[in-house]
Amino acid sequence: MASVQKREIAPSVSVTQPARKRQRWIGYLFILPWFVSMIWFDAIPFGMNLYLGMTDYSVGPIEQANWIGLENFERMLDDDLFRQSLANTIYYIVFSVPLTLILAFSIALLLNTRIRFLGLFRTVYYIPSIIPVVAASIIFLWMFNARAGAINQILYAIGIDPIRWLTNPDYTKITLVIISLWGFGAQMIVFLAALQGIPEQLYEAVAIDGGGLRARLRHIVIPLMTPTIFFNLLVGLIASFQVFTTAYIILGPNGGPLQSGLFYMMHTYNNAFRYFEMGYASAMSFVLFLIILAFTLLMIWTSNRWVYYGDE
Amino acid sequence: MKEKLVFLGLALIVMLSPVMSPPARAQAQGPDCAGGQEVTITFMNWWGATREPLMNQVIANFNEICPNITVVNAVQSWDGREQLVATAVASNEPPNLIMTSRTETYQFAYQGLIEPIGSFVEASGIDPWSIFYESEIGNQVFDGELYTMPLPTAGGISGLYLYNKEMFRQAGLDPDDPPETWQELEAATAAMTELDAFGIAKLGANILLVNDLSSSFVYWLYTNDGQLYSDDGRTVLFNSPQGVETLEWMVNFVNEYSDGLEAVRDFMAGAPDLTTADFPLFNELLAIEFVNVSAFGHLENTDPEMWADPEMWGVALRPYNADNPNAKSAGVSGLAFSWGYTIPVNQPQETKDAAYAFLEFLATAVDGGCYFLFEQGRPSPVMACNEDPAYYDANPYWDVVLESLEIDVSVSITPVQGQINDILSRAVEEAFYGADAQTVLDRAAEEAQALLDEFWSES
Repeated sequence: MASVQKREIAPSVSVTQPARKRQRWIGYLFILPWFVSMIWFDAIPFGMNLYLGMTDYSVGPIEQANWIGLENFERMLDDDLFRQSLANTIYYIVFSVPLTLILAFSIALLLNTRIRFLGLFRTVYYIPSIIPVVAASIIFLWMFNARAGAINQILYAIGIDPIRWLTNPDYTKITLVIISLWGFGAQMIVFLAALQGIPEQLYEAVAIDGGGLRARLRHIVIPLMTPTIFFNLLVGLIASFQVFTTAYIILGPNGGPLQSGLFYMMHTYNNAFRYFEMGYASAMSFVLFLIILAFTLLMIWTSNRWVYYGDE
Repeated sequence: MKEKLVFLGLALIVMLSPVMSPPARAQAQGPDCAGGQEVTITFMNWWGATREPLMNQVIANFNEICPNITVVNAVQSWDGREQLVATAVASNEPPNLIMTSRTETYQFAYQGLIEPIGSFVEASGIDPWSIFYESEIGNQVFDGELYTMPLPTAGGISGLYLYNKEMFRQAGLDPDDPPETWQELEAATAAMTELDAFGIAKLGANILLVNDLSSSFVYWLYTNDGQLYSDDGRTVLFNSPQGVETLEWMVNFVNEYSDGLEAVRDFMAGAPDLTTADFPLFNELLAIEFVNVSAFGHLENTDPEMWADPEMWGVALRPYNADNPNAKSAGVSGLAFSWGYTIPVNQPQETKDAAYAFLEFLATAVDGGCYFLFEQGRPSPVMACNEDPAYYDANPYWDVVLESLEIDVSVSITPVQGQINDILSRAVEEAFYGADAQTVLDRAAEEAQALLDEFWSES
């Protein structure tokens, strides 16, 4: 029997080596486009950004940039607008991220039921997230107009005084948080997909034990959804740190009244393209990268305490 | 391992292949319509909407002289303009001629990104100083070098206001006696402003550029015998007693007669400018608006009925502070806009020649810039163009327009003007929210002076 096995093994070894080699080459070819684009569009710009952040680069040939070391980073410590823009951004994140998460999760729960026209509802709730941000921002600019906007007209009709949503510094960030909820559709789709992956038997087990909807939510849905919640929370956090387009269109490059809506990316943009301080803007970009990285690592580190992956 | 090395080598070749490809080059050219050789240049500009067909006609007129030069009229959107200009001028293959503001021209000249045109002018044999108003051509000089020619005027930006005569009549005011002083402006505004639950229903006078408080302040400063900088551009002067008085007057005016800064911003947010039919001046909701000379073309196109009837609208000079014996009506030239057309250095000599040929035609020719501006009812930086009697037929207030050009004061600026504008805007805004005018102006002056000192020390 052993000699038969050896005869069977020896020919197969000499046949599979070229096949494996070919498979490896095919794999490399498939990842080649991604690899090249990652180098060109991610790695090289990242390295250049780090280098330029340590120069006094303005605009034009990079050869004209002079090395100044950590001066740009030291300058941030004295820059009042750096602190204000960071504070504005954190304020926005603290409200926008959890509210979007709760809204998306709630709508996903509602859409995970068997009702008529379910497909229509899912489409309707998803459409806002695919409307171009610029177009949506301009529409919101009109909706929040203090005189002619729909929101104040409705408030006035029900006896509430009109609010200066975009010209009162106490309201600008709240307005932008409200607008940010418009794009909950993408997170909702992810939640919906995850909800549909929960086995029916678990719901039946809860029902057998006498539990209702609340028990189902608390003991089945939320624990099993923690990986998806974690994913959406992380993605939402990273995106919110980079808030720019809506604020720029609605409030302008200076962030509205008393720079109440001046976010970190807007201050970076102003330094780069309005003041031609590209070196300082590059340094600010790198600092933002470090902040986001720190938050991401913190979330990953704490995730093992509350994220349940099911195979543990 | 060998496979990985081969893979990395292949990746390297793919990555470097765009770099190794030779860039496209235009054919060899020479002077005078680029030597008669066929050449195409891209003209990056922001003359859109009703001005685009006018510019196309200018290009067609140019082609009757230089049929070998094809000018691509690359009209851009205003969104993200600063970003577009900065990346365009710094690119390896920039547009051949780019419309830039004075601040941008100075910044790019400082960085060595644009070509001085002195040698082109000399070869052409023209004398810009005898063609243009002195302040107009002077605004396009940086560090002793001429970098472009102006179109339209840098002047006529702040010295005028447009007013709705019907609203004057409704308020019992004489429409042929518009306000000439700050004090008269206050009285007229009080008579014509109406409020409701949403804020301002009708506004007598909008004295602000609501999104540019810095320029608003500077324009009023010069009607109070104040100055932004010293004549050499090295010393900040806007925190003078005249500056403090001006800022206090602006704050008091807006709070007393316009229900506050937020109310004015909300009122003006509904219609951004005179290119829209909703602009309150056209609908008897705004009586007085401080405009630049582009307003005439916009008025003609947006409300031709109003434009055709001088009994419906009027033009007057910016009011001055009658309590200051040295004050008079004045405009500021060269602070905002002050457009020029710059030639990036990163291009072959033949396209530079062609770009200059078009620039000279655009800026100085009768059927170039003169035609372009006449069709918009606005003045030209070329002295001879403004003497055309047809202007008086085209614009019933042409004498007032010429008077406003004469009272314009050119301000010295540096490449850091963009940052100083924002510093000053923040200071002015803080005053509107209750901060002491002297305190905020002193703080802004300190920051601005530091920027100027740093710039001049590195120059």
